[in-house]
Amino acid sequence: MKFFGVLISLIALSFILQEFVPVFYWAYGSRLLLVHAVFFAIAVAVPFPAMLGLALLTGFIWDARYHLPIYPPEAMQGIFTQAELPFGFTILIFGLMGLMIQGVRPLFRLGRWELPVFMIGLCTTLSLLIEYLVISFHRGGLEIPAELCWKLLMTAMFSSLISPFLLLLLNRLADRFRYRIRMKGLKRRYTYDGDAI
Amino acid sequence: MSRLNIVFLIAFAGLLIWITLFQPEAVATIQRGAMVAFRPFIRASSEVEGALGALGSEALSPAQMRRKLAATESARDRLQLEVIQLDELVKENNQLRRALSYKEKSPFELIAARVITRKPSNWYSTLVINKGRLDGVAVDSPVIVPVGDDAGLVGKITEVLGDHAAVVLLLTDEMCQVSAKLVKSQEQGIINGQRGALQRLPNLRLRYLSKEANAPAGTKVMSSGTGELFPANLYLGELISIDSGIIDSEAKVRPGVDFDALVDVFIILPDLAADEELETAEPEAEAIEAPAETKL
Repeated sequence: MKFFGVLISLIALSFILQEFVPVFYWAYGSRLLLVHAVFFAIAVAVPFPAMLGLALLTGFIWDARYHLPIYPPEAMQGIFTQAELPFGFTILIFGLMGLMIQGVRPLFRLGRWELPVFMIGLCTTLSLLIEYLVISFHRGGLEIPAELCWKLLMTAMFSSLISPFLLLLLNRLADRFRYRIRMKGLKRRYTYDGDAI
Repeated sequence: MSRLNIVFLIAFAGLLIWITLFQPEAVATIQRGAMVAFRPFIRASSEVEGALGALGSEALSPAQMRRKLAATESARDRLQLEVIQLDELVKENNQLRRALSYKEKSPFELIAARVITRKPSNWYSTLVINKGRLDGVAVDSPVIVPVGDDAGLVGKITEVLGDHAAVVLLLTDEMCQVSAKLVKSQEQGIINGQRGALQRLPNLRLRYLSKEANAPAGTKVMSSGTGELFPANLYLGELISIDSGIIDSEAKVRPGVDFDALVDVFIILPDLAADEELETAEPEAEAIEAPAETKL
């Protein structure tokens, strides 16, 4: 339980640090999405129910801080009452991406980090792409300019670059708080893991 | 998937649906709370950004700094005098307009605000400023900045985050739409930014011009005031080119405001006194007109 308390503190810290992360205009307005990277790194290290709980918490705080009530034109006609990206949408995104990233958890538990690192970058990009597609759906006309592709690529790169450090930090924290992430071989495939040693 | 996982998944979906059904008022309350919690960090990040920006600027010798200080002080004194004179003019103008019972909106009542966060959102071109509900800022209030002799339109308030914080949706965003006109021409249209505003200084799109629209590059584009949200004659940008279509024409416009360099902006406050006067005047007028109708 202590470890999960530490994870929640880590997410809170990532929100604070996110405030200090600048937008890189030279990289088509992309930035390091630290909160996303931290959540996806945690999602690869914890069991499914814990991932869902943390997706709920992280997505809720993200929307509380960054959600913008921009309404589509249809809202004026009373067809939609929700903003383009409704409050809570990030929770759904985190849940879906967390679900995907859980697929590479066995590799991470074996000590293989290549695919998890790639997946953290990919999931960050997919999160942004889904948001962009939803906005495009509301506004009509799908525009995919080259700048958009560069922005998504750069964001993925920033996330992938920082993710090994995050995974290392998680391993260290797990050791410190006696939580078992890594195991040699997946012998107990159908039982819950993460129990205290 | 185990039974316990399914239970957690259902609980997650239920909570997610419940949260997405929150009313806008509840969302606003949550966001105000978040803003209060994050305010110290937002302020600190703004200070860090300012300090880093200052580090990057060219280092000056003490003599240069003294000269610069003297020039700045002189400019400040001159501007203070101008502000006092302008305040007097605005007051006089207000009085004259009220005296003439103009039905149009009163001249601007402005408050200055400082940018505290740039582009906090991934897909919307926005800024966060340090003025909010207690300062009289309301949703849809236009935000301007001086550009030469004109007032350049920055955008509009899209969300009041708290007592001293509000979000400005910039003109470069696709969702900030302003009725605009080409100066020295009868051409009018709707101007807006680009989706995602992925470029550093994205051009604006002036749409719904007539098919025959024609104007030289460099023509000023100003707000027309048609939509009533934005006052007329706010400077929006300069015409780059016009592309004629089958039904209408679309123009590319270079923004008049340097959105990256924004530090201080002005918010046009809603003129509550004039609104109240209008509201009270209308029933009186109806009361006067009513007997006349009964006579007829």
